[in-house]
Parts: sequence; structure tokens; C-alpha cells
Amino acid sequence: MAADVKNLPAPGPLKVSSTTKTVYSVMMFLGFLGFALALVKDTERAWHGYLTAFFYFVSLALGGLFFAAVQHMTKAGWSVNIRRLSESFTAFLPYALIGALALLIGAPHLYSWLDPEVVASDYLVAHKVPYLNQGFFWVRTALFFIGWLVFARIIVGRSLEQDKSGDEKLTTSLIPWSIAFVMFFAISYSFFSVDALKSLEPHWFSTIFGVYTFGGLFQSSVAFMILLIVYLQKKGLVTGFITADHLHDLGKFLFAFTVFWAYIAFSQYMLIWYANIPEETLFFVPRSEGPWVWVSISLILFKFVVPFFALLPRWAKRHPTHLSAVSILILIMQYVDLHWLVFPNFDSSRVVFGVYEILIFVGFLGLFLMSMTGFLSRHAIVPVKDPRQSESLAHHVVY
Amino acid sequence: MLDSLFSALKAKGTDGLAGIWTDEKKLIQAAHRLREAGFVKFDAITPFPMHEIDEAIGIPRSYIPWVTFIFGFVGLAFGLWFTWWTSAYNWPLNVGGKPMWSLPAFIPVIFECVILFAALSSVGALFVSAGLPKVDPPVIDPDLTSHKFALFVPENDRGYDVAKIEEIFKEFGADEVKKAEF
Repeated sequence: MAADVKNLPAPGPLKVSSTTKTVYSVMMFLGFLGFALALVKDTERAWHGYLTAFFYFVSLALGGLFFAAVQHMTKAGWSVNIRRLSESFTAFLPYALIGALALLIGAPHLYSWLDPEVVASDYLVAHKVPYLNQGFFWVRTALFFIGWLVFARIIVGRSLEQDKSGDEKLTTSLIPWSIAFVMFFAISYSFFSVDALKSLEPHWFSTIFGVYTFGGLFQSSVAFMILLIVYLQKKGLVTGFITADHLHDLGKFLFAFTVFWAYIAFSQYMLIWYANIPEETLFFVPRSEGPWVWVSISLILFKFVVPFFALLPRWAKRHPTHLSAVSILILIMQYVDLHWLVFPNFDSSRVVFGVYEILIFVGFLGLFLMSMTGFLSRHAIVPVKDPRQSESLAHHVVY
Repeated sequence: MLDSLFSALKAKGTDGLAGIWTDEKKLIQAAHRLREAGFVKFDAITPFPMHEIDEAIGIPRSYIPWVTFIFGFVGLAFGLWFTWWTSAYNWPLNVGGKPMWSLPAFIPVIFECVILFAALSSVGALFVSAGLPKVDPPVIDPDLTSHKFALFVPENDRGYDVAKIEEIFKEFGADEVKKAEF
């Protein structure tokens, strides 16, 4: 089954037409316009929408870096040909740093623990001040985003360097860096989730929250990779390099992390339901009554039950159209999930979702696509000089 | 009594023709050729798993996943019923003032029932589909567990013809062709 590289058409390059670039620019402009309008009309709502979309795309970018790091540290051979695609997500990280600065500006509209009056009058919030205070929040945000950028520079940078030199030492040198990143990521992403989302309700306690957001991160990153691969396959840019077998294994990842997300979501729910302590149930009460209960039910159905059965058969994971449809569903539900984490904290009597939220999301999507396709047009879309590439070319999934 | 059990479980082989190779690549070519010639019941015996062999000898998809799937649902139904019967019906138990039959508390139990039923039924289906247990099965060549590879065509296969099969085996460089039971 081993394919001969010499007989394959060279992968790529991805050419981004000026029309596509214009589309992305228009998306970004619309997003900016929507955000500016929302700021004028309803400042609070603008920042809620901003936080949701910002967290969504930071998670995608980090998911790409995490995927690449895991492949390096496990010395994976099968994934070599798809690794560059996950690396391309990290091109968003420099913009994410700017986005994080904007988030610091908007923070007073989001986090009640930044309000001295609340801190003075609320015993529980005052108790959490050693962690939840403006100075430490700024330090943490800066540390996390700069840390992620530095790791992305090293891990993706060395991979790109190998494209030119073909130096095998780069592959081995990436193992300790990937291990270091994964450890840093586990801690930093948990705390970032706590800071950005969980502290919207500063009274709440949940020790599993970081794992919950990680489940969504991996699920949505794999879904996005699948869409990108199907697109590149349709364009004929990766013929022979990325096959149905690679798609099959990513489909397995998608299935596994659909189950993982549901497992963690249920673990969080069940323990809180069982203990029935007010500081914990206050998160689920507004989400299990009124209009939000329907959003909660839609999460169970469309982020777990439907993808679970849709991804169960073998053919489903090898069928590009089917797999794309499931991936799109999961990417939509990832937004619903984050929206469900953010919005009920401010108004649980109604589901706020409208043109502002859509525009802000579209703006971020345009920026993400612009940075990602820019990366892929500048670099080879398959790491052609990776010493383990032969394994990936011969990758064959029996079951 | 043990003897009678053993003789009842004694594997019943089928007579047929076996070709033996030391080069597995030739065996795969021969297997493709056998399929083209219209044989369907033949099997390959190799000392280690080979990815290409499934396609070469045309093994259809196993039915075991369906057994797993259906018994998963049986486990789900059993778990739902059993938690209700034990905690709400036969011996109603009040835990922390929660409803007798509280789904969140029972989902782990129901989940484990799904896994138990699905896993055990899969192993059971594997035994049935592989014809296990086989006591004292016929051996074509003892080296087939170390460095030799064999194709075996049973005599009840469609269009079984010793001369024709032997010709195919020889054509693809079989080291040995012999009548065997498997």
C-alpha cells in the first residue's frame, strides 16, 4: 500500500484569490460594524457577544496547537500530512493577543467582581478577591496569551524550518517542547476558562470547568480540521497525501471527543445535582427553567446524541459530505454551548441572540479564515520533509 | 466425562488444498488471483495480522458491530428498568429527599449496563463467528505461527478444482502445495 511520493502531484499550494480575501475583509468589516453598533446601542450586550466569539476562536487556535503538540510528543506518524493544517490555526494567535487586550477594556462590563461595590457588599465575592482582582487578572491574561504565542512560535516555527532544511533533529527537539506546552496548556487554558467564562458568575464553584471547555475545544478543532481537509481534497491540493484514511481517523477523534464532552458535561451536572448546594446549583437553576431549558436540551441532543449516532457507522467517518455535515453541526453547537455559558449569567429570563451576535461572530470568522488561509498560502500545506512522512503516506485504516 | 466434552468440542475440519509461502507478498497476489477465479470460501493463515489481506481475500464486514449496537440498547432498557425496580418499586428508597426514580443518579448505572451488555455480547458474538472454542484444530503446517503463510481453499468452495488451484498456487511461487484439512 505504500505510496511512492515521486508519483504524486506535489501538494498545494493554496492560492487565496483576491475575491476570497475581499469576502474575508467584508466579513471582518461587518463584524467590526456590528460590534461598534452594539457598543452604542447596548454596551453590555456587545461585550457578551464579543466574549463568546473571542473565546470560540481562541479555543480553535489553541486546539490546533494542542493537536500538533500531541502528534509530536506521541511521535505519531499517521498524522504528519494533516499536521500543517492544525498548525495553520495558530496564525490567529497574534490577533488573539490584541483581542485579549480589548477584552481587558471590556472586562468591567462583564465581570461583577471588578466592581468595588459588589466586592464590599458580597461576602463570597470578597472571599475570592485574592484570585479575582484586576491586577492578577491582567497578569494572568498577559502570561497566558504571550505563553501561547511563544510556544506556537517554537512548535510551528521548527516544523516550518524543517520544510527548508529537512533536519531530523528538529523532530526530536520538538518532543520536550510539546510536552512542556501540553502541561502549560492544561493549566493556562483551565484558568483562562475560569477567568473568561466561569467568573461571569463569581459565586459559582465547579472544579471540572476547565475540562468541560477543553472538551468543546478539541471537538470543535477536529471538526474545523475536517472541513478544511474536505475543502482541500475537493480542490485537489492534497491528492495522495491526505486520504479517506486520515479523514477516518479524524472522524474517530470527533466521535471520541463528542462522547468526552458529554461525559464531562454530565459529570459536572450530576455532582452538582446530587450535592444540591446553593453555590453550585445557582449555575444550573437558570439554565433548567424558562427559555434556557430548551437551549440546554438542544445541547444534549445536537452536541451529543445526534453526532454520536451520526458518527457511529464506519462509512460515516469516511464519507466527506456526511462528515462535513456533522462537523458543521458540531461547530454550530460549540457556539451555542459558549453562548449558553455566557448569556444566562446576565439575563436568564430570555434568550438574547440576534444580529449583533451573528455579526460579531462573522467578523471573528473572517479574521480567523484570513489568518489561516494566509498561513497556508505562505507555507507548504503538507510538511514534505518530515522524517515520518512515509508512515503518513502509507496510512491505512482497516476498521 | 471430560473426554466426551472434548470430543463434542473437537474441531471438525474441512478437506481442501493449501498453498504455503514464505513471501507474504506473493500470497497476496495469489489471493487476488483466487478471487478473480471465482473462489469465495478460501482463507489465509498468517503468523501476524496483515492489513492488505482483508481486501485480498474479500472478507466481508463483520456482523459483530451490530450485535454490540443492539445489545447496547438492550443494556439501556435493562438499566432503566432495573434502577426503577430496585430503587422505586421493589424497595423504595428515599435518598436526600430526591425523587425515588431520579434519572441523574442512575445514569452511571444505566451507562455501565450498556457497556456490560455491549461488551459481553461482542465477546460472545466473536466466539460464535470464529467458531470458538476449537479443541485440537487441524494444523496445516506448524510453521504457520512463525514464518510461513498459507492460503487454504476448502473442497466445498464454488468450482473447487485441485488442478486449477494448484496451478494458481504454483504460478505465484508457492513453496509447497498440499492436500490438507482445516
